[in-house]
Amino acid sequence: MTEQRVITRRDFIRGVASAAVAAAAGFPIKAQSAEKKSRVVLIRDAAVLDESGKINSAILEQMLDEALAKLLGKTSAKVAWRSIIKQKDFVGIKTNVWNPLRTPPELEQIILRRVMSVGVPADRVFCDDRGSKEKFEQATALINVRPARTHHWSGMGGCIKNYIILTPNPSSYHPDSCADLGKVWTLPIVKDKTRLNILVLLTPQFYGKGPHAYDPRYVWAYKGLAVSLDPVAVDAVGAHLLRTKRIAFFGEDKPITPTKHIAVADEKWHLGVSDLNKIEIIKLGWSKDILI
Amino acid sequence: MYLWRLCILFLIISLPGASSEEAGQDMRELVPKEVAAWKARESDGVYDRKTLYDYIDGGAEVYLAYDFRACLARRFEKEGAPNIIADIFDMGSASDAYGIFTFEREGSSVMIGQDSEYTAGLLRFWKGRYFVSILTEQETPESKQAVMDLGKVIASRILNEGVRPKIVSMLPLKNLQETSIRYFHQKSGLDFHYYLADKNVLNLGKQTEAVLAQYGEGKTKHFLLIVRYPDRDKASSAFTSFRAAYMPDAGKSNVLRTEDGRWVAAKCEKEFFVGVFEAPSRAQAVALLRAVDIGREEKER
Repeated sequence: MTEQRVITRRDFIRGVASAAVAAAAGFPIKAQSAEKKSRVVLIRDAAVLDESGKINSAILEQMLDEALAKLLGKTSAKVAWRSIIKQKDFVGIKTNVWNPLRTPPELEQIILRRVMSVGVPADRVFCDDRGSKEKFEQATALINVRPARTHHWSGMGGCIKNYIILTPNPSSYHPDSCADLGKVWTLPIVKDKTRLNILVLLTPQFYGKGPHAYDPRYVWAYKGLAVSLDPVAVDAVGAHLLRTKRIAFFGEDKPITPTKHIAVADEKWHLGVSDLNKIEIIKLGWSKDILI
Repeated sequence: MYLWRLCILFLIISLPGASSEEAGQDMRELVPKEVAAWKARESDGVYDRKTLYDYIDGGAEVYLAYDFRACLARRFEKEGAPNIIADIFDMGSASDAYGIFTFEREGSSVMIGQDSEYTAGLLRFWKGRYFVSILTEQETPESKQAVMDLGKVIASRILNEGVRPKIVSMLPLKNLQETSIRYFHQKSGLDFHYYLADKNVLNLGKQTEAVLAQYGEGKTKHFLLIVRYPDRDKASSAFTSFRAAYMPDAGKSNVLRTEDGRWVAAKCEKEFFVGVFEAPSRAQAVALLRAVDIGREEKER
């Protein structure tokens, strides 16, 4: 067996490590001209949250509709939803109920309504997190939706990681900065079922502290959603935003576990594109302090 | 099966003498049931190495990378006020209680326990073999005061102080950034604080102890890493591995200028690896490397 070459901090400084791995470890990457392979639509609206943080559901609904139509190049959200969900589908909406920063129930309801508007009966749509392993076995289509936040061990909790609970032994994915989370997407309960990834960026968390890894100082009202068919690309965009915000907030990047799993999901598991230079990012709406 | 595990956990939490270092205390007795007008919920959460994931979503691995034994979580409620959560972790030894405290240390001491800090509703401190975290879900003047009061009571109920890891005493004091000190054992700890390589080039593991610290600030910021191995052979082997991976172009020298114009220096002495990273000059790299007194740790052992 050939021993794999070690990639060190010096390789990142030299710029000879892959852009994806370098970005995962928090090192700046040089721009490269490259073919666009994946598309992420980043949409923001300053009015989606009020001053107290309460969500305006109508605006959130408009944001999702507009983003999805743009992502899929369709004339309307209705057409877009019909292109990814069929009447005969059994749909699992994989949400995230982490208490301090959960998938907003308002967004869950919007997705449920949109899925049912396609003609999927109510008894064939499930929205769940911790009970999803049992319910999603029979799913033919998955919608993956969760907030972006830093995570002690994987660097970031995003769309790739959101399926870890669908595995028989989630903790077995924790070694080496959760590098192999991409493997989860090869399991039968998940493989080839995901029709849409929604990374919730309404109030992302860019740094964590304490056993419960939540500190209100490190959450900000970004007021956005990022949607993509590619879970790796949408997470790469999210990881970039969190890192950029950390630097803006602290004046330098704080030590944090590298988001290695995003690069590995690309390079080893071929789940999507992690190199920002190869992702087409379409920005819609409010642009103040967009950070990307 | 569940009941059997619960029984074992009960024994871990309540019986003295479960420690490899010194007798542990009953953690339920360390935390009061009332503070100010906040009252504890009827049931506590108790977790061991297998169940900590159930409680700390995403953060359990940090504790498991140390000799974590058990956690007691007690939630306090008061009508019209934010909840307060007290988590007390039996880390198996004072060294590892200190280690988990340093893992996220940022601020200055608030004089509770042996080292402490308070930021935005979160009090963290360690004493003896225990690490304690007390969080108010929303910081108000009253809830902050209750958090501090609760911390003081818990600290006073922990009978024995512990000894900081002796390897920490090897850090030269000149230009040392005190709150940057991190004590850990495994590669995951190093990855979090200073990403060196994708592979475990220093052969870090449960049997190694490592201390990382920042020296200087701003443009003069650089880092010192000291690792202690179980024996000289393991230290030598790790040093060889490190040189091959990180300084293959150094020839016979142990000092090298890296691509960013900074300097790296390393040495292996007895059962220790010592590395200086990102020093602004060769002289500073060599000086810091030489300032690490291996004999000091041995004398204090």
